[in-house]
Amino acid sequence: MATQVDTTAINGADRVASPSFWSGVWHNHAPGYLFLLPWFIGFFGLTIGPIITSFYLSFTHFDLLTDPRWAGLDNYVRMFTNDPKFAASMRVTFFFVIFSVPLKLAFALGVALLLNRGMRGLPLYRALFYLPSLLGASVAIAILWRQIFAGNGLVNQVLAVFGIQGPSWISNPNTSLWTLIILAIWQFGSPMIIFLAGLRQIPQDMYEAASLDGAGKWRQFWRITLPMLTPVVFFNAIIQTIEAFKSFTPAFIISGGTGNPINSTLFYTLYLYNEAFGFFRMGYASALAWVLLAIVSAFTAFSFLTSKYWVHYDD
Amino acid sequence: MTTDAAPLTVVTATSQTRRKVISVLSHAALIAASIVMLYPLLWLLAASFRPENEIFTSGISVLPSAGWSIDSYFRGWNGLRVSFGQLFLNSLTISILSVCGNVIACSLAAYAFARLQFFGRNFWFAMMLMTLMLPSQVTLIPQYVLFLRLDWINTFLPLVVPKFLAADAFFIFLMVQFFRGIPKELDEAARMDGAGPWRIYWKIIMPLSMPVLATAAIFTFIWTWDDFFGPLIYLSDLRQYTVMLGLRTFTDSTGMSDYGGLFAMSVLSLVPIFLFFLFFQRLLIEGIATTGMKR
Repeated sequence: MATQVDTTAINGADRVASPSFWSGVWHNHAPGYLFLLPWFIGFFGLTIGPIITSFYLSFTHFDLLTDPRWAGLDNYVRMFTNDPKFAASMRVTFFFVIFSVPLKLAFALGVALLLNRGMRGLPLYRALFYLPSLLGASVAIAILWRQIFAGNGLVNQVLAVFGIQGPSWISNPNTSLWTLIILAIWQFGSPMIIFLAGLRQIPQDMYEAASLDGAGKWRQFWRITLPMLTPVVFFNAIIQTIEAFKSFTPAFIISGGTGNPINSTLFYTLYLYNEAFGFFRMGYASALAWVLLAIVSAFTAFSFLTSKYWVHYDD
Repeated sequence: MTTDAAPLTVVTATSQTRRKVISVLSHAALIAASIVMLYPLLWLLAASFRPENEIFTSGISVLPSAGWSIDSYFRGWNGLRVSFGQLFLNSLTISILSVCGNVIACSLAAYAFARLQFFGRNFWFAMMLMTLMLPSQVTLIPQYVLFLRLDWINTFLPLVVPKFLAADAFFIFLMVQFFRGIPKELDEAARMDGAGPWRIYWKIIMPLSMPVLATAAIFTFIWTWDDFFGPLIYLSDLRQYTVMLGLRTFTDSTGMSDYGGLFAMSVLSLVPIFLFFLFFQRLLIEGIATTGMKR
């Protein structure tokens, strides 16, 4: 504790010794701003500036070559009244989010619970289950997936062993989106690892007390594990949902950039990309981006507002 | 605790067998799940070593019936007008520069947020946290226009420069969390010896933060290597392409006829990520696990 006393003495002496008010201000505040300088340039140049510009562009028609033309609410009106592709991409994206996120989290939690029994070989299993998450974002995996679910692909060859004739999953609009959902679920590794870390923080004596009171495993899960884990569930759900809304590469690769068949894999971000860089409707694409921002913000705000009813923090 | 322990040690024979059965069953479930999960990857690896005519006739088997062949790798490597070697070099350049950018710029910002007192710190920190939630699509088009005006299209600059401006707020956040855990007494002792903030950052914080810096570096490398969207927008000349763009071009230009070459190059594109996984598995998993945890 001697150092504690010493430093306060030095700091005090420092303050008295500073020759003028302004050099004191400089001395105390400048380093922070200097260290933040790269971030400031990025924040204003690549985030705040573009956000404002993008908001302005969303009210214009802009083809990149000529100056933006003011369009008022045209883009937004068209989106909601006269754009079947927008509606389709919304449906596809929400369907994807609603099915892929809960299923992925359920798998992640299930495997985490299995692995949390203090069993032998835990590091190996953990690594094996995490591997697809790490590789999964790659174009190579999307290409592999397209092959697995092709008409003569791996899945149908496996089904053929059982005498089942499978459809051509990728080119059938009823199943194509599901192949992407399965790809998302396959990558349950990173939420699983966060669940595992969360499970480890639950005090063991709670279970001991509960089993003394005669609570079975099932009751212990519902009464102890799940409530204690809600902060982690909350975190995983938010991160995974935002990621799902932004999903792009698999749909792009699997549908060859089109979102076909019959727009069944036309993810919102894929539609936005096509409008912007396929048709050079930059104004319209900006409006699409702002709607996405509104949706993600609304979802996040809603999650945080409702979280106090179901997320339990012990402090 | 001490009183609780006594009844637990009374383990009957039946509960012991029960526990064994459960243990065997859960191992069996995990092994089955691992096989299902890893099978597609093994199949891809096997397909890349099959003779071309055998790829789709081999059924679900992973072993080739007519022996191994590395022809696909030669065909794939030269399957585009530019050799895949050039594309690997491009991907490597972009990834390494991105790693440097993220580690330097994010640690500078994180040091300011975690250890320095200055006017408006909490405000700017909140701003930084808000950018974490921002979908990148919102800034996409103005950024594209900006880089177009700067004449940076079809160079690596739009992919690399933002990293030197700490655009990946996620890593700033991660580093702030870590830096806060380093004892303040170290700074104070150094300050007594006359060290300024720069020296404290460079001589004390950075050397003590190797775990989080390595985590940031590894994830930056992997994510940049895997990135498809950025290169898709900013690179148009085949000579500038990254591996991921090359793979995609491969599926277009050959009309998907050379599956062997495509699979072989897909396997090669996964090798760097897999090597990182192999060597830094522990670090990666700790990095993920601490991400969501309150400290």
